Formats: sequence, structure tokens, C-alpha cells
Amino acid sequence: MSRFDFRRLNARHPYLLALLLLALALAVNYLLQPNLFQSRVLNSNMRTFLPLMILAAGQTIVIITGGIDLSVGAIVSLAAAVLVTNLSPDAAAGQIALIVLAAAGVGMAAGALNGFCVAFLRLQPIVTTYATSFIFSGLALWILPRPGGSMPQQLARTYRSAAPLGLPLGIYIAILLIIGWTFLRSTRFGTYLVAVGGRPDAAYASGVPVTWVRFASYVLAGLLAAFSALALTLLTSSGDPRMGDAMTLDSIVAVVLGGTRLSGGQGGVAGSIIGVAILGLIRNIISFANVPTWWQTLVDALIIITALAAPGLVRLLRSRRQA
Amino acid sequence: MSISLTARHIVKRFSGVVALAEGDLTVDGGEVVALLGANGSGKSTLAKIITGVLAPDEGRLEVDGQAVTFSSPQGAIRRGITAVYQELSLIPDMTVTENIWLNHEPMRWSVRVDRTQARRRTEELLALFQGAVSPALMPETPVAALPPDEKQIVEILKALSREPLLMILDEATASLDARQVSRLFKLMDAWKADGMALVFVSHRMEEIFRVADRAVVLRNGRTVGERAMSDVTERDLVTLMVGDEPSAAAVAQPDAAQPVDPSARPRLQIDRLRSGRVHDVSLAVHDGELVGLGGLRGQGQDDLLLAVFGALPFTGKMALAGEEVKFNHPRQAVKRDVAYVPGERGSQGLLLIRSILENFQLPSWVRYGTPLKMGQARQDAAQMGASLRLVMASLDAPVSSLSGGNAQKVVLGKWLLREPRLLLLNDPTKGVDVGAKAEIYQLLEDLRRAGTAILFYSSEDEELLNLCDRVLVMQDGRITAELSGVSLQKENLVAASMGAVEQAGDQGGSSS
Repeated sequence: MSRFDFRRLNARHPYLLALLLLALALAVNYLLQPNLFQSRVLNSNMRTFLPLMILAAGQTIVIITGGIDLSVGAIVSLAAAVLVTNLSPDAAAGQIALIVLAAAGVGMAAGALNGFCVAFLRLQPIVTTYATSFIFSGLALWILPRPGGSMPQQLARTYRSAAPLGLPLGIYIAILLIIGWTFLRSTRFGTYLVAVGGRPDAAYASGVPVTWVRFASYVLAGLLAAFSALALTLLTSSGDPRMGDAMTLDSIVAVVLGGTRLSGGQGGVAGSIIGVAILGLIRNIISFANVPTWWQTLVDALIIITALAAPGLVRLLRSRRQA
Repeated sequence: MSISLTARHIVKRFSGVVALAEGDLTVDGGEVVALLGANGSGKSTLAKIITGVLAPDEGRLEVDGQAVTFSSPQGAIRRGITAVYQELSLIPDMTVTENIWLNHEPMRWSVRVDRTQARRRTEELLALFQGAVSPALMPETPVAALPPDEKQIVEILKALSREPLLMILDEATASLDARQVSRLFKLMDAWKADGMALVFVSHRMEEIFRVADRAVVLRNGRTVGERAMSDVTERDLVTLMVGDEPSAAAVAQPDAAQPVDPSARPRLQIDRLRSGRVHDVSLAVHDGELVGLGGLRGQGQDDLLLAVFGALPFTGKMALAGEEVKFNHPRQAVKRDVAYVPGERGSQGLLLIRSILENFQLPSWVRYGTPLKMGQARQDAAQMGASLRLVMASLDAPVSSLSGGNAQKVVLGKWLLREPRLLLLNDPTKGVDVGAKAEIYQLLEDLRRAGTAILFYSSEDEELLNLCDRVLVMQDGRITAELSGVSLQKENLVAASMGAVEQAGDQGGSSS
């Protein structure tokens, strides 16, 4: 009976498992690093996790519609390059707003290219976005040939230290992302996203503009990648033309950890954000436990494989029990 | 408000193949028009053109006397035209409510979906089928958790929720049980009285006579006739539909049931089998015997057949020709000359994008050595195709290019190539046209005569009555009645299916 209840709960809240994992990771991390819950440490952790959280939110939307975006990391690099080459340490507020808007535009344009190829030309998302990631990486290198550049110092300082009501700014932004998603999901467009990922032909027959929904999901992912670049560059105060590359795989792992189904049609942003926190904590644990960092890659790979195999394993166990 | 729709000389080609050569149809508010025709005659194509899923290559579509072109289903919906699709348009992960209101959700502040209202209106819609569906069908139930008949009902309610002026029901009754069908017909009568125009596509004659005012008959992509139901007979319609081809009304009548040697070991004997929805079923099928499984849809017939085929785990005893077996995988069943022909051919019977040849030979490649003797394989497949009178462009054409009836012949043929001793059939004539049905009946009769043991589930009572030696009626996973000889009458079958009478034959009646 209790097992049954858990299954039902899990169906209603697909990120329940992720929450359990999060609690476990927090506990282990706390044992290794007793000052984990001090405001300063919490803030630094949230700031480190935030760029990936924003990126994973975009990845979630694409994956829910049945696609995948392997170029989000490259879009982060590209948008970061735009930011750090155009913003001086003492840039005025107006200029900052303008450049941030420009970076957002670049992210959306990159997403639009992905969306055009996948939705309108009906190319395979994996191959297409892998290919476009080279275009975006190339552009990033062209804009910013070597690591460098700068960010407005005042803004960066505020961003790093701000902690309204004693909670890190990052937590507010993460909550904002979740509220944004909840709102989106409650609109007609939100239903479209799930419908297109669940069964595109059925969605089409129901009058859902399948092509546009797919297109929009990539544009949104591109926009969020640009915001991710902003969060990342505010943290580092400089840019690297490859700074986002490693984030692509992480964003997918976080989405999977958060209970969003890789084949689409089910999931949500809240799970992915928890997924990022779990990934970050695992990273902390590995560094505090003095384990070589290459274990991280293995852990990432194991998470993806386990997540992919989980539905099959559950079915296998269930049929065994029946027999 | 009422609608009048006219389709004139509609032509549709798919990569050179003419699917619809001259489709004509007129339907007005307050009438039910039956659209009839063998599979591949263009009914579905015509229906899809009217609902904007497909664009016609030629011809004219008029709504209320005004020419229209629909570039998408959305365009047709705006004119009040909706369809209940045969291939369901539901999204498995979404709830019943979300599916019904997809794309026309009640809104709050014109941005957010008003879930309370959507739920309430879903309950109102579900109430229309109250008593004919299980209580588990709730607004929040995910569609993936529903059995096929309830999915179909949700599909009907989804079309209804648009408050259409014209509704097309494409084989909407194919997966419903008798109670649900009669409820649907009562509703259709009410909608008709309210001025809705209804186009009803079905292969079941009795339903067409029950519900339609007029019949429009298509043959080979052309509208060949239009008759008022009041002055036409079943035979007239069948003649119009099939032309000179073998008439379906002439269902192959079996010879007087061959005496089964009671001392011989049954080909299949199962004892107290439990699996999925099946509880304690015992039965025996002998060589040369055609045993029917009847009853309402979803009473465990599927799971029984799948368990015998090794696709579902089971408890209980099962013996093939006296030898006890326990299959964990269909592969083991296939090795023991058991074959399973599903009605869901698209998902369970065929590799749609692969060639007819590959589909035919899929279970049999092992016989053609390494490297494969392709010449021999082709020859055998071609022979099978010819003996099934398969209408195809070539063996290399993809199965998806075949009509429903021909595709089902491929599913049958791929198992016949292995010469099975026990043939399990799960509603094999679902969505198959009358001509092909008659051929399939003849084929089953030939196989039975050649000594194959056949266990046959059908959702059509007529098939069971006309083809089977014995019919076992299932209800709630149990065999509740066994009909044979004089008791094999339609009234008995219907009564037993509905659980109205305890029929002759003891509980879980086994014949051995």
C-alpha cells in the first residue's frame, strides 16, 4: 500500500524523488562541511548554482516539447562574449540595460535558428543543435578571441553580496523561475508545450500550432541561456569564449534528475532547479571528500543512464512481482 | 443554428496514388449520414479533407453554400466542424480534462486556464456516459490509464465539447462495447434533434441501419451512390460497396461442426489461469476447432490471449498437445507453433515503414540461412501474398501504403508462413472492410479444416456466431458461459455478454 501511495505521489509530483535526493545530498554535504548553512556559504553556493539553474529551466522547456538543445552551452558562451566585450567596469545603467538587451536578443536569435531548423525544416534536434553549437562557439571566439573582458563592477558587487531578508539573491531568482514556469503552465501555451511533447500528431489534430510551439521552445531556451550568461559573467567579472560549453551536459543531467521525461510530454522547471542543486552539492561533496574531480563526469554519466533505464527497471520489477 | 456542407468532386493524391478520385458528399443539420465503403475506398481521406487535416488537390468544399478552404483543422473547427478520430487524437500524459479542452480551454482573465470550470464542464460531459463507463473515469485521470473504449469516449466528448454544428464519427464505435454503443446512439439522436449534422463512418451494418438517415457509398475513391436508409436493404448497400467482389453478407458458413475426437489431447489446455484481468480461466481447444471468445470489450480477452502467447506472466497450468509449458517470452510460444494476430496492427502487428516482404518474413528469417536466401524468401512471400489476394504495388512497398484490410492480411500472412498449429486472434477484423473480412473468414475456415486450432476473440457478435464451433463468453476476467450447437444464438450471446442470464455450462466451463 505504501508503495502504491508513493507511486501516486510521484506521478503527481514528478520531482519527489529529486527532493529526496536533495535532502540526502544536503545531509552528506553538511557532514563534510558543517558551515554549509551559514549565510555566506549558502550565498556562495546559490551564486554558483544559479547560471545552471537558469539554463536548465530553458532546457526543460525544450525537452518537454519533445526536443533537446545541445547548443545551450554555446549560446551561454556567445552571450557572455557579447556582454564582457561591450561592458566596461564603470558602465552607466543605460548602457548596461542596452547591452543586456542585446545579449538577450543574441540568445533569442540563436534559439530562433535552432527552432527554425527543428520546427520548420524538421531536422533532428540532436544533430541540428549539435551542429549549431559550433556556429555559436565560433561566433563567441570571433567576438572574444581569448579570455578577458569586463563587467560593471558596481553591479557585480551588488549581485554577489545582495541577500534580502538574509536569504541569497539566487534563491529569489530560482523561486521566480518556478513561479514563471507555474504561470506559463497555467496558460494555453503551457498546455501546448506538454501536448506537443506528448503526442505531436494528436496535438496537431486538436488544432495546436505544433510548429510554432516547437519554435518558441527553442527561442525561450536561447533567451534563458543569455540570462544564464549574465549570471555567470556577473560572478566571474570576465568572459571566456568557452565558458558555457561544459554546461550543456549538466543542464540535461539536471533536467533528467528533476523528473522530466527525456522523451517529452512530462515534467517541470521546479524539478530541474532541484536537479541543479543536487548536481552542485554532489560537486561540493566530491571536492570536500578529496575525490579526484574526474569522478564528477562518471557521476553525471551514471545519473543519465540510471534515469533513462529507470522506467524500464520499474516495469521489469513490477512484472516480476506480478508473475 | 444549423449547417449545410457539400463536398463536390474532391480529388486527393498521395505521391501519385489516387486516394480519392471523385468524392461527393452533402450533409445538412439534423440528419445522420452514413459514409460507407470498403477500406481504401477513400472514406477516411474524405473525412480528413472535410475536417481540414488534409488539403484536397481538386474539388470544392462548400459550407452553407459558400466555398471554403481549410488550411488546418483549426480552420474547420472555426466553421463548427469537428471529428472523432479513429486514430485517437488524445495525449496520453494529459488528464481527461486537459485533453477534452485542449486548445479551447475555458480561460480566466484571458491568460490563465480556468481549471475549476474545465473540471466542472468535464464532469457534465462524462455524465452523458454515466453507467456505461467505469467509475475510474474521472476528470483528473490521465488518459494513458484508460482502456481503449474509454479513450474513445473521451475522444467523442472532446469533439462534443466544441459544440460543433457538424461532427464526423470515423469508426467511433469500433472499440466500444454494446452498452456504450447504444448510449452513443441515443446521444446522436438527441444531437440530431438539436440540429447537429452527423457523418457516421462504420463497418457495422446493423449500426448504420440503427442510426443513419442516409447512406453515401464510396468505392475506389468515388462516390458511387446515395440512398435513404428507409428504402434500402443491407444487401443493396453491400452490392454498392463491393461491386462484383465477394459479398460480406455471404459469411463463410462452417460445415456442421466436425466431431472432435474427445480422446485426443487438446492442442491447448489451460487450467485455472490467472493473469492481468483474467481470473481462473480454464479451457481447451482441439485441433481443427475454432473457439470464439465473446463478451463485452475489455473483460480479459486480450490478457488471456497474450498470456497464452507468453507476452504476459501468468499463474496456473498450460499445456500444448498434452505437454505442460510455461512461456516467459513470445519467442518460446512461436517456437512451439503458436501465433498471435493482434487487431491493433499498427502498433502490435506491423513495422509500418518497412516493406511488405520484411513484414511477411519477420518471424521466419531464421529458415532462410546465412546469408539469407533472398530469392526463396521473396518467392514464399509472393506466394503468400497471392494466396491472400493481397492488393499491393510490390513486395518492396512499405506496409503503410496498404489499406487496413490488406495490412491485416499481411499480419495474418506473416504467421501463416510459419504454419502455426495454434492460432490466437485478437479482434482481427477491426477496421477491416467487408471484402477483406469475407476473405479472412474464408481463410480461417480453411485453416480450421486443415486442422489448425484457433482461439478467436471478436468484438462483432456476428463473426462469433457465424464462424465458431463454440463461443466462451467472458465477463470480469472469467468465462461465464459456453455456447455451442443450438445454444449458439445471438440472443444468448448478447444476454451472456451483458451478464443477464447464467448460461448453460458450468462456471469456467471447460469442454474437456
